[in-house]
Amino acid sequence: MAQFIIALGREYGSGGHEIATKLSERLGIPLYDRNMLDQMAEKNGINSENLHQFDEKSRLHGLTRTVRGHSSSAQDHVAQIQFDFIRGKAEEGESFIIVGRCGEQVLKGYKGLVTIFVRGDEDVKAERICRLYHLSDKEARMKMHNHDKKRKAYHNSHSQIKWGDSRAYDLLVNSSKLGIDATTDFIESYVRECIARNED
Amino acid sequence: MFAEIMAIIIFVGMFALIVLDRFPKQFVTLGCGVLTIVFVFVLGMHNYEAILETLAVGNIFTPSFWYAAGDASEATCGVNWATIIFLFGMMVMVEGMAEAKFFDWLCMKIAKIMGYDPIRIFVAFMILSALLAMFIDSITVILFLAAVTIKLARMLKFNPVPCILSEIFCANLGGSATMCGDPPNIIIGTSLGYSFIDFLVNTGAMAQVSLIFVIIYFYITMSKKIQSPEDKVDPATIDIDVAIEDLGEFAASTVIFLGAIILLITHAMTGLTVATIGVFVASVTLLAAGKKAPKLLKRVDYETLLFFIGLFIVVGGLEQTGVLELIANFIAEISGGNAKIMIAIILWISAIASAFVDNIPFAATMIPIIQSLAATTGVPLDTMAWTLAVGTDIGGSATPIGASANVVGIATAGKEGYPIGWGAYCKELAPATIIVLIVSMISIYLRYF
Repeated sequence: MAQFIIALGREYGSGGHEIATKLSERLGIPLYDRNMLDQMAEKNGINSENLHQFDEKSRLHGLTRTVRGHSSSAQDHVAQIQFDFIRGKAEEGESFIIVGRCGEQVLKGYKGLVTIFVRGDEDVKAERICRLYHLSDKEARMKMHNHDKKRKAYHNSHSQIKWGDSRAYDLLVNSSKLGIDATTDFIESYVRECIARNED
Repeated sequence: MFAEIMAIIIFVGMFALIVLDRFPKQFVTLGCGVLTIVFVFVLGMHNYEAILETLAVGNIFTPSFWYAAGDASEATCGVNWATIIFLFGMMVMVEGMAEAKFFDWLCMKIAKIMGYDPIRIFVAFMILSALLAMFIDSITVILFLAAVTIKLARMLKFNPVPCILSEIFCANLGGSATMCGDPPNIIIGTSLGYSFIDFLVNTGAMAQVSLIFVIIYFYITMSKKIQSPEDKVDPATIDIDVAIEDLGEFAASTVIFLGAIILLITHAMTGLTVATIGVFVASVTLLAAGKKAPKLLKRVDYETLLFFIGLFIVVGGLEQTGVLELIANFIAEISGGNAKIMIAIILWISAIASAFVDNIPFAATMIPIIQSLAATTGVPLDTMAWTLAVGTDIGGSATPIGASANVVGIATAGKEGYPIGWGAYCKELAPATIIVLIVSMISIYLRYF
């Protein structure tokens, strides 16, 4: 089978990560998310938490300086490590799913790339977060708001096209309409069709 | 009044844009420099002479710019071309040394001499960092030391972060020891007419004492974080080639480097200005490089040189309008004319400001202020100059954004998977900065009062 890569962006609470995990199992391809950093931590013999604390975060404006192209931002460094990692995997010809990490921008131009963004209705997302993390509705909405704000800032600091902008994705889907499983089925059939057409 | 207000607005705006780091810093200072010429000199002061004085191009064509028999100094107002030409020369020389793999060879050789023992390397690289930074810009020192440290860390299975942090600190400390070690010192030296030796016996002596304290402090706080006993690697199993690739190129770069040091040490006696030394060093390096000369010239950090030009114009605007004099009067007033309080204010304000904003514009702004203070209060200019140099050079070590070496060291580590955040950085280096500032303040009080 020819190489295919799924770059899946998601709103917090939309179930995007769960959908990506199911797709990975169904399509038999690895999923890369924060686990990329575990490999780097193991290689360097350091605690992976040292890397995870800067994962999917934007640089601190006003507290970052650039000298001769070198940035002082640890957030930028961790982002770059992940970009290099997925580019390396793509170069090696591996098929995989990348969740977040500006995948749709970093891998832009690869022939087998399918870019997806999963969003959801506020109420449905809040209900899902309440259920998963045993939070009150208010806490869930706050958590959702904070995470999305960080993801947006992170994405937009590394990409010219804004986070969630339909022009950046092949498929933008609201998981609240069909639920997680049916949305996964829908995306899977879409991806399989893309793969088939790509091979023709 | 319009000119004064515009000069302040442009200056504050320039600082804000530098801190925000959204645009290349050279565009920020050059843009603000153009605004200063238009709004301060032309529209505000209607003084075209001030433009010429600030651009100071005429200085380059005077004999004293190249050869100074006495204690002649660059015009303090406007663009300090001596600093820019000297920095250019040193940048060319350093690129020549890098091309000859001088730094890689030196670092690996020292690691070998240290028996590939991580703790010994940790201490040796601190000293090496301080010594190299006395003569070479700290960015280059850290660029090579940090890269070699990471290479060794992977081979010897140790954590390079404590080593890199200590190297950064010592590079900034070493840079404070000489006139050419850190850009603020070059500006202070050329503006106020101090020699290499003047710096060495004043800020150099303070840096030497501080280095001893710092090595002990870092040894106590960081040596245990470098390697777990179970990760210990047998040095006998390490096989690294530390051979010199091109002996001719290496020998030439070493001779030029040593020649530059001799010229700098003796420049007060020979009368050669730092601008002359810069041009000489660059010319010899380019001649020795032969076909590689264009490559070296291409690698020179022109952004920083342009940044300096714009910066000097903006500070020139503040100076011409008399704003800096007002600040000097304010410092004199709050210190009540007490020299010790004045010194403490200069040291700590310089250090705190340099920890958060680029220390180069800060030093450039402070020079006319201390000159004014010396004239009005009678406090010796020398004492204030050394205090300013130490404050701006050392203060920059406290935060990840305080000095260029910090940024480059953090970036080198981060790109290799060893990210260093604000918390981790400040936890180790902010206390060391305070220690050195206290040591320096005591040294100044004991020596000059």
